Amino acid sequence: MLKILEKTRNGEDGIIAIGNHPAIIQSILDFDFLSGKKKPSLQCIITGNRKAHKCFFGAREVIVPCFKDIEHVPADIKKRVRWMLNLQSGRRAFDSSVRFFEAFPQALGGHIFAENVPEAHATELIRRYGRTKLIAGPSGVGILISGALKLGAIGGIDLTQIEAGKFKIPGSIAVVSTSGGMTNELIRAVAASGHHVSFSICIGGDRFPVTSLSDVLALAQADAQTKALVYFGELGGSDEYEIAELLKKKRFTKPVVAYVAGIIDEAFDEHMQFGHAKALVHRPDESARAKREALVKAGAISPATFTEFLQAIAELPRSAVRDTVADIETIMNRTPSILSTREIVDQSEIPAFVKRGKLARRGENSFASSALKALLGCAVSPTTAAFAENTFELLIDHGGAVSGAVNTMVTARAGKDMVSSLAAGLLTVGPRFGGAVNESARAWLSGVASKKSAADFVEEWARSGALISGIGHRKYRVGVPDPRVAALAQFAILLKKHPHYDFAREVEKITSGKNGKLILNVDGAIAALFLDILKECERYSHEELAELVEAEFFNALFIIPRSVGFISHFIEQKLHDEGLFRLPEELLFVRKGKK
Amino acid sequence: MARVKISEYRAKKLILGNAYRGLELQGGVKLPGRLTGQWVAKVDQGVKKRFKQGLVAIGSRSKLVAALNSWKKKGFSRFIVEPFVPHKENEEQYLSLERVREGIRVLHAHNGGIDVEAHPEAVKVFVVREPADVKKLVHATKIPESFLSHLLETFNANFFAFLEVNPLVVRKNEAYLLDAAALVDSAGAFFTRVWSESDIVETKSRHPAEERVKALDATTPASLKLSVLNKNGGIFFLLSAGGGSIVIADHAELTGAGKLIGNYGEYSGGPTREETYLYAKEVIGLLLHSKAKRKALVIAGPVANFTDVKKTFLGIIDALSEKVVELRKNKVKVFVRRGGPNEAAGLGLMREFLKREKLLGAVYGSDAVITRAIDEAIPTVC
Repeated sequence: MLKILEKTRNGEDGIIAIGNHPAIIQSILDFDFLSGKKKPSLQCIITGNRKAHKCFFGAREVIVPCFKDIEHVPADIKKRVRWMLNLQSGRRAFDSSVRFFEAFPQALGGHIFAENVPEAHATELIRRYGRTKLIAGPSGVGILISGALKLGAIGGIDLTQIEAGKFKIPGSIAVVSTSGGMTNELIRAVAASGHHVSFSICIGGDRFPVTSLSDVLALAQADAQTKALVYFGELGGSDEYEIAELLKKKRFTKPVVAYVAGIIDEAFDEHMQFGHAKALVHRPDESARAKREALVKAGAISPATFTEFLQAIAELPRSAVRDTVADIETIMNRTPSILSTREIVDQSEIPAFVKRGKLARRGENSFASSALKALLGCAVSPTTAAFAENTFELLIDHGGAVSGAVNTMVTARAGKDMVSSLAAGLLTVGPRFGGAVNESARAWLSGVASKKSAADFVEEWARSGALISGIGHRKYRVGVPDPRVAALAQFAILLKKHPHYDFAREVEKITSGKNGKLILNVDGAIAALFLDILKECERYSHEELAELVEAEFFNALFIIPRSVGFISHFIEQKLHDEGLFRLPEELLFVRKGKK
Repeated sequence: MARVKISEYRAKKLILGNAYRGLELQGGVKLPGRLTGQWVAKVDQGVKKRFKQGLVAIGSRSKLVAALNSWKKKGFSRFIVEPFVPHKENEEQYLSLERVREGIRVLHAHNGGIDVEAHPEAVKVFVVREPADVKKLVHATKIPESFLSHLLETFNANFFAFLEVNPLVVRKNEAYLLDAAALVDSAGAFFTRVWSESDIVETKSRHPAEERVKALDATTPASLKLSVLNKNGGIFFLLSAGGGSIVIADHAELTGAGKLIGNYGEYSGGPTREETYLYAKEVIGLLLHSKAKRKALVIAGPVANFTDVKKTFLGIIDALSEKVVELRKNKVKVFVRRGGPNEAAGLGLMREFLKREKLLGAVYGSDAVITRAIDEAIPTVC
């Protein structure tokens, strides 16, 4: 047990959290990052209903895997685990702790966060692990080894607190207390007086802490880095007599500065139960006064007031440690993503479909052929099939941010099945999302048939106040062409005539002359080229093309491939299940309703 | 609270099982029409030194009825009635069991009725760590093994924390538990079916505010505690954290203001805004009811690890907002010292609110010493 601090400082810091407490877990990653670790110490979380939990490591988001139980943790994670952070309730903490230490016999220790762990469970944990493991709790806020391990809420949970406590840098003062709040108060007092903490353990306010105060003192005595001990205790119990005993027997030889709270109990007629389970005087020797006097007699510095106590801490010898200041402002400005996903299609790689006047990728295109045959009722030429195939390829996915994909993911996260999630995505397809191909085909078809000039056509649309479907892009503009449009445009070379495509390009010249972003987009290019291909390769008449527009045929070119994309997003959510999705409140602007 | 008293009746019933002939009287349950022989009736509410206080009656049914009626008039409501075991004083022994770190600590003395604290020399101490220790215990105490091992087993399996049998009478293989007092571990309630909340006895009647906070505490993973100390006190505490709250109360005692404290309590473990609101409401209610001429509210605590200062302070502000007029009328000033997550935002909100409502005493954060708020509050109420 005496080697535990050393081992942890040497990098044996892998933590499994049993149960999820997002703020505490995030604070562990923040501590790791500020301490200069390359990787988070937290390995995974044991929790139901999700397979992943997102955290920040510095300003960057990382995904922490979640497993239903200890038995499901894969071997590569298992071998790095040394510490347990048990965040379950008092009803389950005993069972899960035993299961952890059975699965990880090499573990160094843990922290049991729960209050209300039965005494009989605590004594059984002591019997099993009391001699070999360092276990903080039941109850309290955990274990801190400066620069090496933050196991629990100890030292605070926000970045400002971690920075103010200065415990990313190893120091020379051990801080020990039963009380969680006071552990932190003392860590801050040590930091404020220009000292640094070597390690700190909150043993918890329960009657039977697994690792006892004497155990912690033995650890502090054996630790070469620790030069002094700062202790906060309360009335009730006999912990302080343990310290006094160790001091008297010279088994603890470093300076001890202690405060024993509870003088207030003397103001009442009857002994009172204070906040912690143990904080009640049963016998006269359990009073704060008696315990403080015993400590003083044994050689500890134990002042009567808290102010004097702080003064005594300030007077402890200092170690030569230089503070570093982290730019936490930048890290604090981080905003969490609200959905996590995978890049389903590489948007940056657009293949060449036509090379030197020929189809670049001659293949069977059998799915595209069969699909078009089914849709149109007749077999199609290789050029038509190839165009459909390439369109399918381009439209499988356009990232997780688009509304159809969002709906699919949100539905998947609500625990729904594939068909429901896919339907939720598909039901989004309409005039503003994904429905532009058909509308664009309608525009080009009517424009060519009207024999109007592109300028008149644009003027007419502009006057009616409508936007031309197939024109305009959020990102690309004149000078920065859309590579997908460029790749598809090569199909025009394969055709003798391409009136719809030409018309679309004429329209683009007019619109982009007004605004560089009003270029022919991928929906518009697909619509124009497909009209031309059907006309030339499949001998469709104008009337037949008009019927296809009415029947919304051109939207099928989007829906078929995008279904694949939605299903991919669905599967991704299931594989990386983060639980039910809820929009963060701060992303909502809520107006007051009328009364 | 971790260790709570259960009724003597329940303790004996658990230990002796069906062989136990005692009765429990409470909530309208009456004494049976016929009782043959000598019986004993006792108040069963965890009261110490019952015999001296006249809360024990021995005799026939009519004698017990008279005693029960007089006790009811005194406000007692839970009684135990059992057959009287005539015995000689020199038969009385002392036995107690307590759960300790290493196992079960057993205290035994051959003369009962003693005050253990006053006569440590008369008491032998044993620690039962493993089954083999029971044999040694039997040998040393001469208490029948069947009874002793059954007692230890019952103690262990049912989340007992402490049991005192005083006096205990042993005759051959029979053990008679004349008086018994038992503490159970309240955290065990979820794991056992043999005792429950209804077996837990309260020694003194609680203040309604304490009752409400206790009920609230039972339904949250956070910790909410409240004790009313002096209904007409001048300093009322909205403290946080188990340990830090004592440091602050200590400071009041050390500066001579201990008697002015109206209440003790603490919230910790990350209560929600709503839970903090409900808790703060009780403390503010106590403050407003106090007849003291000068009153102050001290909202103080250490630098929290994970309790959100902003969230909890919003709850306190919610509660204060409901009573600003009364608080102003009582000339109450509010003194604050607190640190922790969202400290700057929480303190800012509180300062702004107190200023606007003219309740501001002072507001301090983690850079001030933990006792700063109470230190400044005391002179305003003395």
